[in-house]
Amino acid sequence: MNSVLIPVSLALPVVFALLVAFMPAERARGTALVGMLLSAVPVLGLLFLFDYSRAAEFQFAASVEWAPQLGLSLSVGIDSVALLLIALTALLGPVCVLGSWTAITDRPRLFYSWLLVMQTAMIGVFAARDLVFFYMCFEFTLLPMFVLIGVFGSTNRKIASIKFFLYTFTGSLIALAGLVYVAWSASGHYGRWTLDIGELAAAARLMSPTEQGLVLAAMLAGFAVKVPLFPLHTWLPLAHTEAPTAGSVILAGVLLKLGTYGIYRFVLGFVPMAMVEHAPFLAVLAIIGIIYAGLICWVQTDVKKLVAYSSVSHLGFCVLGLLAVNTTGLSGSVMYMLSHGLSTGALFLMIGFMYERYHTRDMGQVQGLASKMPVWSSFMVFFVLASVGLPGLNGFVSEFLCLIGAFQSSSELVAAGHPGATAGALGPWYAAVAGVGMVVAAMYLLIMVGKVVWGELVEPAGHDDAHTGLPVDLSAREIAALLPLAAGCLIFGLFPQPLLGAIEAPVNVAVRSIEFEPVDVPHTTEHAEADLQVGEVAP
Amino acid sequence: MTGDVILTFAADAPVGVAPWWVMLIPALPMLGVILCTLMAIAGVRSKLPAWVTVGCLGASFVVAVAMLLNHGEGAAVAKAWDWFHISWGDAQGQQFNAIFGFYIDRLTILWMLFVTGLATLIGLYASEYMSHDVGPGYCRFFVAFNLFVFSMACLVMGANMLMLYLGWEGVGLCSYLLIGYYYKKPSAVAAGKKAFIVNRIGDLGLALGVYLTFVHFGTIEYAELFASDKLAGYLEHASHGDFSHIPLAAQVIPMLLMVGAFGKSAQLPLYVWLPDAMEGPTPVSALIHAATMVTAGVFLIARTYPVFQVSEYALPTVAWIGGLTAFFSATIGMAQFDIKRIMAYSTVSQLGYMFAGLGVLTSVGAAAHVFTHAFFKALLFLCCGAVMHGFAGQLDLRKLSGLWRMKGWGIVSITMLVGCLNLAGFPVITSGFWSKDMIMAEAFVRPGMGPVGWLLLITAGLTAYYTFRVFFRVFVGPQEYHPGDELHDDGHGAEHFHPHAPGWAINSVLVILAVLSFVAIPLVALNHGGWVGEMIHGSTAHYEAHAEAGHHGSVWLAGFNPHAVMYYISAVVGIAGILVAYALHLRGRTSAGEAPAAEAFKNALGPVQRWAEHKWYVDELYDFLFRKPLWVLSQIFRYVDMLLVDGLVNTAGWIPSALGGRLRRGQNGVLQSYAASMAGGLALFVVVVLILASRSG
Repeated sequence: MNSVLIPVSLALPVVFALLVAFMPAERARGTALVGMLLSAVPVLGLLFLFDYSRAAEFQFAASVEWAPQLGLSLSVGIDSVALLLIALTALLGPVCVLGSWTAITDRPRLFYSWLLVMQTAMIGVFAARDLVFFYMCFEFTLLPMFVLIGVFGSTNRKIASIKFFLYTFTGSLIALAGLVYVAWSASGHYGRWTLDIGELAAAARLMSPTEQGLVLAAMLAGFAVKVPLFPLHTWLPLAHTEAPTAGSVILAGVLLKLGTYGIYRFVLGFVPMAMVEHAPFLAVLAIIGIIYAGLICWVQTDVKKLVAYSSVSHLGFCVLGLLAVNTTGLSGSVMYMLSHGLSTGALFLMIGFMYERYHTRDMGQVQGLASKMPVWSSFMVFFVLASVGLPGLNGFVSEFLCLIGAFQSSSELVAAGHPGATAGALGPWYAAVAGVGMVVAAMYLLIMVGKVVWGELVEPAGHDDAHTGLPVDLSAREIAALLPLAAGCLIFGLFPQPLLGAIEAPVNVAVRSIEFEPVDVPHTTEHAEADLQVGEVAP
Repeated sequence: MTGDVILTFAADAPVGVAPWWVMLIPALPMLGVILCTLMAIAGVRSKLPAWVTVGCLGASFVVAVAMLLNHGEGAAVAKAWDWFHISWGDAQGQQFNAIFGFYIDRLTILWMLFVTGLATLIGLYASEYMSHDVGPGYCRFFVAFNLFVFSMACLVMGANMLMLYLGWEGVGLCSYLLIGYYYKKPSAVAAGKKAFIVNRIGDLGLALGVYLTFVHFGTIEYAELFASDKLAGYLEHASHGDFSHIPLAAQVIPMLLMVGAFGKSAQLPLYVWLPDAMEGPTPVSALIHAATMVTAGVFLIARTYPVFQVSEYALPTVAWIGGLTAFFSATIGMAQFDIKRIMAYSTVSQLGYMFAGLGVLTSVGAAAHVFTHAFFKALLFLCCGAVMHGFAGQLDLRKLSGLWRMKGWGIVSITMLVGCLNLAGFPVITSGFWSKDMIMAEAFVRPGMGPVGWLLLITAGLTAYYTFRVFFRVFVGPQEYHPGDELHDDGHGAEHFHPHAPGWAINSVLVILAVLSFVAIPLVALNHGGWVGEMIHGSTAHYEAHAEAGHHGSVWLAGFNPHAVMYYISAVVGIAGILVAYALHLRGRTSAGEAPAAEAFKNALGPVQRWAEHKWYVDELYDFLFRKPLWVLSQIFRYVDMLLVDGLVNTAGWIPSALGGRLRRGQNGVLQSYAASMAGGLALFVVVVLILASRSG
């Protein structure tokens, strides 16, 4: 019975998308909200029925045979990492509808249908257990986002949507080539065709180091564009700036995580040794991204672009955690995927609410809203603090773990007998330089708050509250969209342990599957990390 | 450091379980946060938030007293929940643990007593001081006020370095929110921002210190860290002056931690945020930026004192930074005219004494000075606040004179005098004298620390001078006042201005604090360190140099023991400073603005005086060295990103369309063509699979 849950979670949004498409236009948003909420019900079921004591195993497995002789099937199943990302997706769905409630007046059926379809595609990416289904969903996410930006975006929407599509599509095709190569190589190993991700992961490790390096490069072409990793990030600020609020929320909240999830599941899962080998280089890119994008944020005048670039900076930490390939780093990275979805998603909502009232995102034209919109301002300050990594809120948990993960991840430190070090190719300097990003983040985010929230009230010329049809401060509907995210940020920050405990098992399986060079450790008790664990296979 | 010093610390006793109710100390202020938030939402327009705050914080203080009475020897831990628990193996260091819990020893208790006590009193003061803002602003103020005490409790009571970090950034946040309380004032917003960002630089050092502690010791829980054999082994080496057997990593940890301490406690080179922080309401300046938060750096070093002792250079560095900061900021304080700024620089300077105290190994002296300073500096700020409140924001000492004889200002004047005497280190009858003395004497005892001692001694004279410069200008002399620009809209302008003297809440708090500054004398003075010394001896900050040889080895000035003669020397220096202030600023002064002797003195100093008044142009220097280049770099990045990085992408994207010669069609056409190409991609995938399958099959 449980095996129905994932297919139902996938099907419900599509059913409602069709329903919305044939509704009268004025009922579209209501139907969409109901659809999003009902679609969240099976996801709640997943959350409650998931057996957390076997969190590393893929549960709720379901499979449809397609062409067995070719190894083609559509199969799904989730471990706790996928589960939590699906939960995040389901949470952001209704929030997006609430955030678009008054903003989308033209062609609402098109908008909400695609928004619902998007849910299916994203959940599909996280739930997929075979390559075809994964890639179908991965690519399919482009289409709804293309429509959301291209039809419902602002001035430069066409260029933004085309660039978004082409850039990520090209990357994905190269990633596809890498994945196909793995499948081909695996077929030689197994003597039959298989596209099962678990089987492919086991076989991929048997490839030669050169092959692994090439597969790594191909996969990263797809996933690093999505993340986005410096210097492949330039589509993001444009897409974010032009996208409607819901598009930005989905883009920052979930779509970027498809990239980091891809790295986690496929790069780390398939070719971990190549990843460890190239980790220093990739980490340098991530760190450049953290500081470079952070400094660009500092000189932005467009508040939405600022938050968009901040995503580039933030996701650098997430990638750094992945490259640390230890339990803290990977846990931090997975936490980062979740927490960034909450706080940056919320920031885009906040900016959307401001934009709906003032029709500008220029920080020179809208300032000092604290005296006019105290509720909006309180939420804004709260989410900025979450984003800045204030302890007690979500951003801190993930950022801290990513950084300490990078700090520990040094085989040299292990060899030097530091008990808290783990095998890996990074080390203290990586964390120290990336940590400068903490200071830069405080700079640009507080300067942004200093302009938009504090100071004397400045409004665009000719602004009239009555014209927007919205209350001066946030409406109950808008607060309802923000409250779950705010609660998430707080609970996540104070009680991260349930989440950390849930993802510990799959993360540890991933870490133990990496075959590090044995390290001479002074004390025999500290060998666990260096021992080869051939039997255990990563997701 | 010589080899005849034996170090011990008192965490050898097993760590017990603290009673659950110690958690009320942070929980009650958190309750205050919640209640005040609810009142803000409900739109309460009375002084209710203040009374709730005073109630919560007072109750928290009572619990702290109960904790003092209940606590025996050693340390105890109270755990609320597992905050972080990540494990990848069974060995030591293969779990990253941080409980949300509290570590109670005497150092904790000492700190929490004055934090909660002062917070209660200053909350009471603020109930009156902030009364012009009753409404949403009043609620907002007390939300942040309560949150500050909660954060401070986490910082001080936290059971591990991560809890400390939580509190550390939490107090930084409250500081940010409260400095920027008058959020329409650009200078206040800028000051809040500056405080947070400069502190973040320190926080980075602290964070890296925490990481390295974990990597090297395998734990960040205090209870485990202080009990670790590794640390004990290092201390054993260090006690023999043998640092070559202590790994570099262990010696770097305190270097990183102290960066955090310098940021939070406003030491060189990260002190620049604190004077600007005076933009906040005065109760905030008194509580956060004078008495409690800025001593967090001192607490950090005291808490991790054993870790600092295993580094050859850490504590000497702390001593030098402290001594230099004390002297440097005193020179700025001497040349300022804004009395609140003068007090701010004096805070930086006094914090320098505390760091120097830690650096020269008198943790007792440092803690004693934190303790006495908390009372008299809060008192001084609250007196300045009362003046500011009464004279429409006037803080310029050239615009006020002779408050002593004005009606209703007697209590403020007398308590101000008490505060000034303490700060100036007036001999015997002030607690500030005794605590400062311990630090200066010890500086001359420590080998190699003599120059720091001289710096501190000279600074003591300067301190006495600038403190009484304020008192002699503002509180005595001819009566005169000019109101500031924060006139209330009550119909009459500056010409009809009447200063309004403080009411019962402000006056009673001032009196209590003045009394407490005397009560503190026996607590720090009796039996070398007194009660405060006992509290420190029962904690991780305990340090004892058993060997007397160290004293004889560093004879200072013709064979006198510094501990014996320092009382007399510092007494003379202090009184001399007061007399110079009298000669320059009171004798012959005929009006508030005119002090002929001081003018003559100023002219004699030439440009030096002007440089000091402009704070030695440090802000301008930092702007030139860091902010401007970084801003230029950011602009370059911005254009590089637009033109180069994105330009390459656009060029790459242009090539295929140029080759294909296809023109863009309309919106739908584009959509369809991409949908088609995506389907094509999938098809390609399937085709490739099929071909490969047929070949292998």
